[in-house]
Amino acid sequence: MTAFGGEGDTGPVDGEALDWALRMTDPEADWEAFTAWLEGDPARAGRYDRAVVELERMTRAIPVAAPPASEDRRPLAAPPPPRSRRGWMSAAIAAALVGSVGLGVWSQRDQSYTVATRPGEQRTVELADGSSITLAGGSRVRLDGADPRSAAVEAGDMLFTVRHDAAMPFRVRAGDLTLVDLGTVFDVRTGGGRTRVAVSEGAVMVGGGGRSLRLDPGQAVVSDGRALRRERQDVAEIGGWREGLLTFSDATLDEVAAALSRHLGVAVAAAPAVGTRPFNGSIELAPLRRDPRLLGELLGVEIRRDGGGWTLDAPR
Amino acid sequence: MPPTGLEAVFLDHRDKLLRFLRARGAGEAAEDLVQDLWIKLGTRADGPIANPVAYLYRAADLLMIDRYRSRRQAERRDQLWEEDRHPLDGRAPSPEREVSARQETARAAAVLAAMGERKSAIFRRVRLDGVPQRRVAEEFGVSLSTVESDLRDVARALLKLKDEIR
Repeated sequence: MTAFGGEGDTGPVDGEALDWALRMTDPEADWEAFTAWLEGDPARAGRYDRAVVELERMTRAIPVAAPPASEDRRPLAAPPPPRSRRGWMSAAIAAALVGSVGLGVWSQRDQSYTVATRPGEQRTVELADGSSITLAGGSRVRLDGADPRSAAVEAGDMLFTVRHDAAMPFRVRAGDLTLVDLGTVFDVRTGGGRTRVAVSEGAVMVGGGGRSLRLDPGQAVVSDGRALRRERQDVAEIGGWREGLLTFSDATLDEVAAALSRHLGVAVAAAPAVGTRPFNGSIELAPLRRDPRLLGELLGVEIRRDGGGWTLDAPR
Repeated sequence: MPPTGLEAVFLDHRDKLLRFLRARGAGEAAEDLVQDLWIKLGTRADGPIANPVAYLYRAADLLMIDRYRSRRQAERRDQLWEEDRHPLDGRAPSPEREVSARQETARAAAVLAAMGERKSAIFRRVRLDGVPQRRVAEEFGVSLSTVESDLRDVARALLKLKDEIR
């Protein structure tokens, strides 16, 4: 039992408090009526706090997607207003006023920001909850200041080291996949129309393509936007790119080239003739930094200088 | 320097805000919180505010929600720490709980879908897009009370789902 909220911290949320939680985010909210309600019983403040927090939590669980067809069926002839993420009281104002955490539902969507790396760069982002994300070169992740337990992989490769909290799972969106950690270190690689997730510690639930599956250490899954395919990967290799080792299984040379460009910071492309060739194996980056031509031998292709970068092509 | 618009409104409403913060459970901290608000108004860097009174109340409300949230997080940390040291049979990381957590997204989407198109669209418009209820009522060509009751229905269904998951 705590001094705040008391017995209200478990069990169903109080319906009356929930109604107030819905009302008080509106610009026309009646604050004097709300004050009067609160004064009617000292326990109501705690019930209201809890209703607000639980309502926000369940609202966050709603997948962000436009409601089907509702735009078209809007009865007004006027064009729909811009789907602004900003509420009636802008998030910037609110943030300036009350600090950066725990704002209302109308502002939490506003606090997203992007972290990106240049090709060849590597960078670790520490999140407020103690989790961290290491981004490979040429990668981009979108984070939300209002919800430190979420991330969206927009491009590239990154390794997540997530502090586990069963009550507040860490969620990652990557391509068409939704990942929910079960206590975890996992690697996400995107590119070439595919998204690959590999787990080195803990476990991750992966949802996509109408399926949901659990990945344990050493397991990986690849989505090409249509289907999910399971793979295995040596735990020691997962996130190995941080130490300069890239491992591929069933990757195309297009994907390999894209990954090399990001990690080396040098443009590498595969010519159409070889782009779809499969590659399995590990590539050590350090020797390639010194001499990208080694790649030709490794991949069984010819490599030629092309402007500022390198092109992989069929041997002539 | 004479007080600006918002600051003047603040001074006019200081007692009401104080009373509100006390009713919100701030107790002895109410005076300090009002003072915090006052200081932060001075560092505000943005344009005019349409409804300054609502703005001030809402800011005060958010301060309290913040306090509640950090308290809950601290309690959760303590609790996890305790469970680490004395794992209780059947309570230590229960796979059921973890599996439930990941289902939340899918089930929230299902709950919304089951509510029907108008209700779920109205809920999204208000709760996700942050559009005022009156404007949403106009957009959908329904009364304000319909918007209110739609919001209530969806919120109750979502929280019922939460109770099932737990």
